[in-house]
Amino acid sequence: MSDTLQTVGRMIQEVIGDDWDLDQPITMETSFGDDLELESIEFVSLAEALKDEYGAEVDFVGWLSTKELDEIIKLKVGDVVEFIDLCRSSS
Amino acid sequence: MSFLELNQVRFHVQELGPGAESGESTPAFMAHGLLVDNLASWYFGAAPRVARDRRVVLYDLRGHGRSEAVPTGYDVATGATDLAALVDATSEGPVHLIGHSYGALVALRCALDHPHLVRSLGLVEAPLPPSRLEEMRSIATSDPKKLLAALPEGLRGALLSGRRRAARARKSLEFLLRESSLVADLAAEEDVADDQLARLDVPVQLIYGERSSCRPVGDRLLAAFPQARLEVLDGGHYLSVERSAEVGEILAGFLHG
Repeated sequence: MSDTLQTVGRMIQEVIGDDWDLDQPITMETSFGDDLELESIEFVSLAEALKDEYGAEVDFVGWLSTKELDEIIKLKVGDVVEFIDLCRSSS
Repeated sequence: MSFLELNQVRFHVQELGPGAESGESTPAFMAHGLLVDNLASWYFGAAPRVARDRRVVLYDLRGHGRSEAVPTGYDVATGATDLAALVDATSEGPVHLIGHSYGALVALRCALDHPHLVRSLGLVEAPLPPSRLEEMRSIATSDPKKLLAALPEGLRGALLSGRRRAARARKSLEFLLRESSLVADLAAEEDVADDQLARLDVPVQLIYGERSSCRPVGDRLLAAFPQARLEVLDGGHYLSVERSAEVGEILAGFLHG
């Protein structure tokens, strides 16, 4: 498992907190909508956690704001991990 | 995550920006709509564009998102007191106030009651009076099912797909519609007279959706405010989500202006 996937997975668990009931590990294929059922306000908490972890080099909020609502719902954890890795390798 | 205690209520507050292009220091405060909404619709919508030029402060209205679920205070005047307290607590001097739907009514009331706090106003789909809004009929029934059925399909799908998410959305709606004063507060909400609007002499950007039941309000407010301009977008009432990129551009241009 990549370091980024591990970090993002930990953040997602923290954001969902007590409501966590996923019985399988988070993978690149886990979807935010169907598998995690992340609410919009939980997505905000995840974005803030990413900001704290990676700082300005990963503009997650800016990236999401270019997407339509239905695209955001269909996002997979892998999409976010790849975006983070891309930002960090090009900076 | 940041929380602030204002008017004895715990509010969830998030800040964005200022970005690299920031030149002007006046911050913008953005208020979201009622019931199924929270600060995420600005956060992932128009706010990042506005935050390229300035600091943006977003908050969850009382009873919404991660702010405290209190039983009372869902009238526009109390909402305006909350917003004024937030502005006082987090900034100095007059600021830009922006709101969508009920949040626009809160921003407007805040500007009328606390003129020293406001440099300009951005009102997206302000339903004035609230009875203008088609959804008010489903809100008045206090039935979460009817309210959800009245939402546009995309929004409803985002809220209700999945067991955990749907359960949480229903629980929040049950509280607001059946256990809080929201429905009664909204029903008692009155119009603002044109002569009162005429006294608000600050720049106002109005944005309305061509297919919204509130669309005629845009023309009325354009005529009533001394310094208003109006943009009409192809869409319905939920422009902050459905047309977030255009709304962000219009607001950023207006504030830059």
